[in-house]
Amino acid sequence: MMNQNHENLAIPPLKGQPLLDRLTNQSSILVVFMLLCLVMFGGVLENWFGMGDAIRNSAIHDILMTISNSGWLLLFILVVPVIGGIIELHYGQRHCHQRDQVVIFMTFLTILGVLFLYPMALNNGTVFEVPGLLGLGLGFKVDRLGFTALLITAVIWFLVMVYAHEYMKKEKRCTRFFFFMALTYSAVLGTIMAADLLTMFLFFEVLTVTSYMLVIHGQKDESFSAGYNFIIMGLVGGFMILVALLLLVFNIGDLRFQSALSSLSTMGSLQYWIMGLLVIGFGIKAGMAPVHVWLPRAHPVAPTPASALLSGIMIKVGAFGILRVATSYYFPNKGDINDRFDPLWQTPETIGSALIWLGIITMAIGVFLALQQSNIKRMLAYHSVSQMGYIVTGIGVALYLGYWGAMGFSGALYHIINHALFKSLLFMVAGVVYFHTREHDMYKLGSLWKQLPLTTVVCLIASLGISGIPLFNGFISKSILHHGLVEAFTYGHASFRVAELIFLVVSAGTVCSFIKMFYYVFLRKTDRNYKELVREYSTLDIAMAAIGILIIMIGLAPRFIMTHMILPQLDAVTYDPYFITNYIANLSYFTWSEFQTTVIVVALGFGIFFFGTRLHWFHLRLPAWMSVEYLFFYPVFKIMQKACRLMYGDKCPIDQVSLSKLSIDGKNEASFTERFVITIGMFNRRYESSIIKSDALIYTLFITLILLFMFIFGVV
Amino acid sequence: MINQLPIINLMLLMGMALAIPLFRKRAFNRTLVIGFLVMLLVLVLTVVMFVHVLQHGSISYHFGNHPAAFGIQLLVSPFSAFFSMFILFLALLVYVYSCGDATEGIEEKEYGRYYILLFILMFSMTGILYTNDLFNIYVFIEILSITTCAIISIKRKKETYTSAFRYVMLNEIGSLSYLFGVAMLYMITGYTNIELVSQTLTTVWTSYAPNVIIALGFMVIGIGIKAAIFPFHIWLPDAHASAPSTSSAILSAIVVKVYVLILVKLLFKVYGLDILHALKIPLVLTIVAATGMIMGSVFAIAQKDVKRMLGYSSVAQIGYIVMGIGLLSFMGLRAAFFHIISHGLMKAALFLSVGIVIFYKKNRQVKGFDGLGFQMPLTMGVFALAGFGMIGLPLTSGFIAKLNLGLAVLDAGKGFLIGIIVLSAFLNIIYYLPIIIAAFLKTGPEEPRPTTIEKVPKLMLVPVVMLGLLILFLGLFPNLVMEWVEAAVSTLL
Repeated sequence: MMNQNHENLAIPPLKGQPLLDRLTNQSSILVVFMLLCLVMFGGVLENWFGMGDAIRNSAIHDILMTISNSGWLLLFILVVPVIGGIIELHYGQRHCHQRDQVVIFMTFLTILGVLFLYPMALNNGTVFEVPGLLGLGLGFKVDRLGFTALLITAVIWFLVMVYAHEYMKKEKRCTRFFFFMALTYSAVLGTIMAADLLTMFLFFEVLTVTSYMLVIHGQKDESFSAGYNFIIMGLVGGFMILVALLLLVFNIGDLRFQSALSSLSTMGSLQYWIMGLLVIGFGIKAGMAPVHVWLPRAHPVAPTPASALLSGIMIKVGAFGILRVATSYYFPNKGDINDRFDPLWQTPETIGSALIWLGIITMAIGVFLALQQSNIKRMLAYHSVSQMGYIVTGIGVALYLGYWGAMGFSGALYHIINHALFKSLLFMVAGVVYFHTREHDMYKLGSLWKQLPLTTVVCLIASLGISGIPLFNGFISKSILHHGLVEAFTYGHASFRVAELIFLVVSAGTVCSFIKMFYYVFLRKTDRNYKELVREYSTLDIAMAAIGILIIMIGLAPRFIMTHMILPQLDAVTYDPYFITNYIANLSYFTWSEFQTTVIVVALGFGIFFFGTRLHWFHLRLPAWMSVEYLFFYPVFKIMQKACRLMYGDKCPIDQVSLSKLSIDGKNEASFTERFVITIGMFNRRYESSIIKSDALIYTLFITLILLFMFIFGVV
Repeated sequence: MINQLPIINLMLLMGMALAIPLFRKRAFNRTLVIGFLVMLLVLVLTVVMFVHVLQHGSISYHFGNHPAAFGIQLLVSPFSAFFSMFILFLALLVYVYSCGDATEGIEEKEYGRYYILLFILMFSMTGILYTNDLFNIYVFIEILSITTCAIISIKRKKETYTSAFRYVMLNEIGSLSYLFGVAMLYMITGYTNIELVSQTLTTVWTSYAPNVIIALGFMVIGIGIKAAIFPFHIWLPDAHASAPSTSSAILSAIVVKVYVLILVKLLFKVYGLDILHALKIPLVLTIVAATGMIMGSVFAIAQKDVKRMLGYSSVAQIGYIVMGIGLLSFMGLRAAFFHIISHGLMKAALFLSVGIVIFYKKNRQVKGFDGLGFQMPLTMGVFALAGFGMIGLPLTSGFIAKLNLGLAVLDAGKGFLIGIIVLSAFLNIIYYLPIIIAAFLKTGPEEPRPTTIEKVPKLMLVPVVMLGLLILFLGLFPNLVMEWVEAAVSTLL
């Protein structure tokens, strides 16, 4: 057995040492097998060679139905990662190989489990209740929406774990990483499988805590500060969901995901408060615009497998939450409605228009900031923000157009799938570049295509995907989303024409951004010759190649996902069946007008890139006073200074050591909570002991007050 | 026989306290074992009583068979049986813990005294819960505050004396205010028995409104001081900081709660909802609770000493309880009672685990927790769990308490209070989370070696771990306890 003590492998491996380990072959086979499974699954659905019928008519069908419909399968899928995590802990650092084997195998097992869920999902699921747990009882259910999300999560998680096996060799404390990865996986699956808001909230909170451990894995100062930001915002988002949950329990009495619109629409402004809380609560996880600030800090500092999953899957959980809540609570029952102008649509329409604008702002901010980044991972993180904007816009359209919103729904869901694929792949590419060169700054890299040909190819595939070039997956979902926006201003308010224009400009920005990244990292000629770069066939390549293949497959056969994943869901949601069968089912993707739009967008992207590099646009920074920190903290600091003078008189300690962190100058990056704590410390120092010493005074004062109060207000 | 149980319980606790000096000649361990057995016996008897009370209704015991109007009546309702059960259970855990470590700052010859005080403390608290007589409550309150004072000042250090002195002064003011209120009520009604007083009050209170109001004001503030309700919390942080950890745990998790329960008895059994609504007491309590929830946490954030921080956190958490009580509704009381249980468990777990850290690392600074999670994983694990509970993350009992309080607040039509609850939870994050993060993720000054991991007496560790498990259990399956809590509430409303 090889000596696999990778604890000390922070230095690159020596030349000539055989690096190709057993797991590489094993996991290559497993990945190929997984792809085969997916193709087979697709084959059964598409009824190739009569496979689907054969299964439907044989005894296997009954067995499959029984397996699928038993609640144990759900439990199994939830528990497998946790069991895997415990075994991983058992193996620990000493038996890296076995540990990673367990990781890969367990995630593979989950994919199989998820595939077995299909029959149940087809019938839109049955709820498995666990009464009494957490007081209100938990419930799990996998419907078609859930199944789609589960499948994409399971596939990407598996591939990232294959990738992580090689990548984590250069990191420390891998066992902890894999353990929390497993817990996070279970939490993500639980969030998706939840049948009611309480269950979703529970797993969502677990997700926040466990993924925190992934973010701070490096345990450097910057990862701690980014992680602190991450967990505080995550928990605050959790509280918002909790408040919404309380309001829903109290006003509706039932937390299961089903239509509550008839009772919600009688509640006046409260219904918007509930939705607002839910949108911001989930939106924090999803990286939505005003509350995205944690994302560009947290994703780059996490180890690459974690950031691939954070960007690929975990932020989708937030979007999934919004989608789930919006299309269940805030949608009317299927039987209640048969046209678009029913007054019940009023609520979804209002929420939808807000969501569209939120999404548009998110995508614009994301792309604008992404163009300024030099750190690859940070740039990708900003693109995640921007792409989440697309998804939120899609959800907005789905709600805004009400009965005809099916286009937005399909676009959002399709983009969730696509973005999960190409963003995790892009992060993996960034990880491979870092793995070999220890460099994240794209201006310091260059001409890597010779050394890393496969990486270059998959990076190209992913970039074409995210830029929305025909024959790649992003094109499909982006054009559906575009259709949705066009419908929004055709059937709805004219102001969404502006939104559509911004949409196109943002797409051009995305194109430009990836031209820039691809050029600087892979094509540009530099002095560096990367002599030390040793590249072997490893699990990194398998995982990336597999995702690349998936991207191309979706791009070439866009109709498969549409017919088998998305259309069945549209039937379950209250959408106009006529609209679905006539527009969406027969949507043709490769039309002349779409190509025209694409050509314009790409040309614009090239234009921005050309002028940007000539005129140094990408190094532009907003002036310091325009940053949110400055606008908020400067007045606060001034008030604090005055307050301090007032409290302490001449002995004001505002400029002394700890308090000086409150001041506003460029270098100082104290976060909001840090400033808050310092401020409270200042008040405390002045008043705590004097409050304690004035005990008798407080007593007299309060007894007088309470008696006066009761005499004056009580007895009258 | 079952009717005699309340008095038997009291006698057992008192008897044990008196017997400890008699065992002086024997080995001290034997005394500890006997004490443990006595407490266990009392706990078992209380459980028996609780089951009986749930099925057959309250037990009433008249001292010397005097009628209630003249004599003293002990009344064991589901309310008092449930809470005495809880208090004895927690006290038992703390007792076991303190058998492992009473040494923190206490001299060896004082051990006996410490346990005597502990038993008297138990005695007076069960007495308070059992008794159905306002004046008798006062007597037990006095016993309780004097023993508490002694237990705070058991370490022979200068600063403990100042904090004990402050405690005793404030608490005397509180006791006397309470006594003053009792006297006022006696003036109107001619009784001190709670039922008789309340019967008379409902008919005559409008004619004696000033008396009733003054009595209520003084009694609420008197008990408020003792229960550390916000502006009267001033004695609490110092007392916590200087007392040994076991005493802090008892003080924060049990003693303060007993005073809150007296407040509940006073409001619901003596005055009744009509008078309280007429006097707008809900408003007063809500304001006090809301400021307490915020200010307690705000002060906690600024603390450098862990135990002071935990003390201020108790102030905030008592705000939650008072808020639940102040709603004067079934849901509100239910949430408040559940929070009494949940906070009792969490605060005991926090103080005891901090006690282990102090015992082992001699460190009580908030900043000194770096890397401790590796050296004492179990201890800090329980600390983290309880901290999460304080924040209100799901899977802990703290979440259930917050959930119910939120529902109660909505039920009472005061939805805006949810904002206060969330703000307070946010402040909790700010002071609990950094400690947990530092303990588990930062590297400490010493490298953890297998030989030094969790080198703590097992007797200290077992109660802490049990508390942690209970927090989880209550977070997962709250319904069982909730049934008991509801039984307790229904005796009051």
